[in-house]
Amino acid sequence: MNQLLEKLSTCVEYGKVDLKSPYPPAMKDQEGAFELTRQALDAGISPGNILEEALIPAMSRVGQKFSRNEIFVPQMLMAAKAMSSSMIHITPYYLSGETKRRGTFIIGTVKGDLHDIGKNLVSMMIEGAGWEIIDLGVDVSTEKFIEAVGNHPGAVIGLSALLTTTMENMRRSVAELREKFPDLKILVGGAPVTAEFCHKIGADHYSPDPQGAVEYLKQLS
Amino acid sequence: MGYSRGAAPEPLTEVIGEVSEDLISLGDVRAEYIIFTPVKCNSFIKTVETEGVVFNVKPIIFSQVKKAEEVALFICTAGPEAGERSRRYMKEGDLLRGYVYDVIGSEVVENAADRMQEALRASVAARGMNITNRFSPGYCGWDVAEQHKLFSFFKDNYCGITLTASALMNPIKSVSGFIGIGREVIYAPYNCSMCDDKNCLYRGRKSTRSEGPDTSCTGFRSV
Repeated sequence: MNQLLEKLSTCVEYGKVDLKSPYPPAMKDQEGAFELTRQALDAGISPGNILEEALIPAMSRVGQKFSRNEIFVPQMLMAAKAMSSSMIHITPYYLSGETKRRGTFIIGTVKGDLHDIGKNLVSMMIEGAGWEIIDLGVDVSTEKFIEAVGNHPGAVIGLSALLTTTMENMRRSVAELREKFPDLKILVGGAPVTAEFCHKIGADHYSPDPQGAVEYLKQLS
Repeated sequence: MGYSRGAAPEPLTEVIGEVSEDLISLGDVRAEYIIFTPVKCNSFIKTVETEGVVFNVKPIIFSQVKKAEEVALFICTAGPEAGERSRRYMKEGDLLRGYVYDVIGSEVVENAADRMQEALRASVAARGMNITNRFSPGYCGWDVAEQHKLFSFFKDNYCGITLTASALMNPIKSVSGFIGIGREVIYAPYNCSMCDDKNCLYRGRKSTRSEGPDTSCTGFRSV
C-alpha cells in the first residue's frame, strides 16, 4: 500500500485527528488524518482509493477489535472522530458525484425510546464503511421511518430500541415498513433485542455489535 | 467503560475528570424514598403488594424480598443536564465527551442511589430492621412496564422525574425501584448468573453498597 495511505489508515485506527491533537501520545506533534487526507488528494490519489485503501479498512479494524473486546467504546469514538476529519476533504467528492457511497442507511431509535448512544455508535461505524447515513434521531414514529424510506429508494434501514416496552413499537414499525416496502432490508438492535426477536418480527438482521451490522451491509453492497 | 485500572487511553482520564467535576457542580442530584407498610408477599405468584398495588416482581427478586415487613419505594436522578449535555456534545461532533457524559451520568445516579440506600439502612437499623438489595423494574426479570405502578406512589414530577408511556424516566439518568425492609431480610451479594439478561448494564459489576459508601449526604427523607 502507498506509504501515505498506510500512515493515514494508522491515524484513523488510533484516533489521531490532526497535527494539534495530542492523542495518542505516541503520535504527538505528527500530522493526523486531516492533513494526510489533504496530502493524499494533492498527490493525485483518488478519493475512492483513499476510502477503500485507508479509511474503510481502518474503521473495519476498529470494529473487529471492538467485537473482540480488545478496545472499548472511547477508542471507537476517537477513531470515528479521526475518520470525520478525513471526511471533511472527501465529502465534496461525494456531493459532486465523483465518488460513490456504498449505499444509504437510514437509522433511528423507535417511538417512545430516547436512547441514542448505541444508535450513534452503529451510525458512525456504518458511515466509516462508506455508507451515507440518514439519522432520524430518537423517538421516531413509524410514519417518519416510512417517509424516509420513501425519500431514499434502495436504502437499508436500522431500528434501535433499549427498552422491553419499546420493543413492541419496534415490532409495529417493522411490520408496517415490511407491508409498504416488501424488499426493504431491515436491521434491528439494542440491549433487549435478540436474534430470535428479530426473526419473530420479520426483520432481516440482528447484530449485538456495530461490526456485525457492517459485515451484513458488506454482503448487500 | 471496560478498562482495567490504569489502562484507559490518555484523553479519557482527562475528559472523565472534567465531566465529573461539571456534573457534580450542577447540584441536580436528587434521591428520595418513601416507606410503606404492611407488605403482603404471595409466594405462589411471586408478587409483593402494598397499599393495594401488586408488584409482579418474578422469582429472582421475590426470593430476596419475601420476608419483608415494609418496603421503601425510591427514585433518584442525576438531573436533566447529564443526558442533555451528552446529546449536545455528540451532535456537535465531540463524540468522546458526549459518551463520557452519558456514562458518568449513570455513575452519578447510581452513586446517589447507593447513598440513599445507606441512609435508609442506617435509619431502619435503629429500629432493629435490615434491608434487602435495591431492585428496579427492567432488571432481574421484573417487567419495566411495572414502573407505572411504582410511580403511582409519587406525586407528578416528584424529584423532577416524569414517566413516559413506554415507562422511560425523564431525565433519562434516573433510577427507581424498591428495597425490602424487615427483621429477617438480608442484603445479599447478587449473583448475575441467576439472571438471563446478558446485556444488563450491571452484569458483572461489584456492588458498592458493601464497600460502605459515604453517608454524609443529606436530603433523603422517609415520608
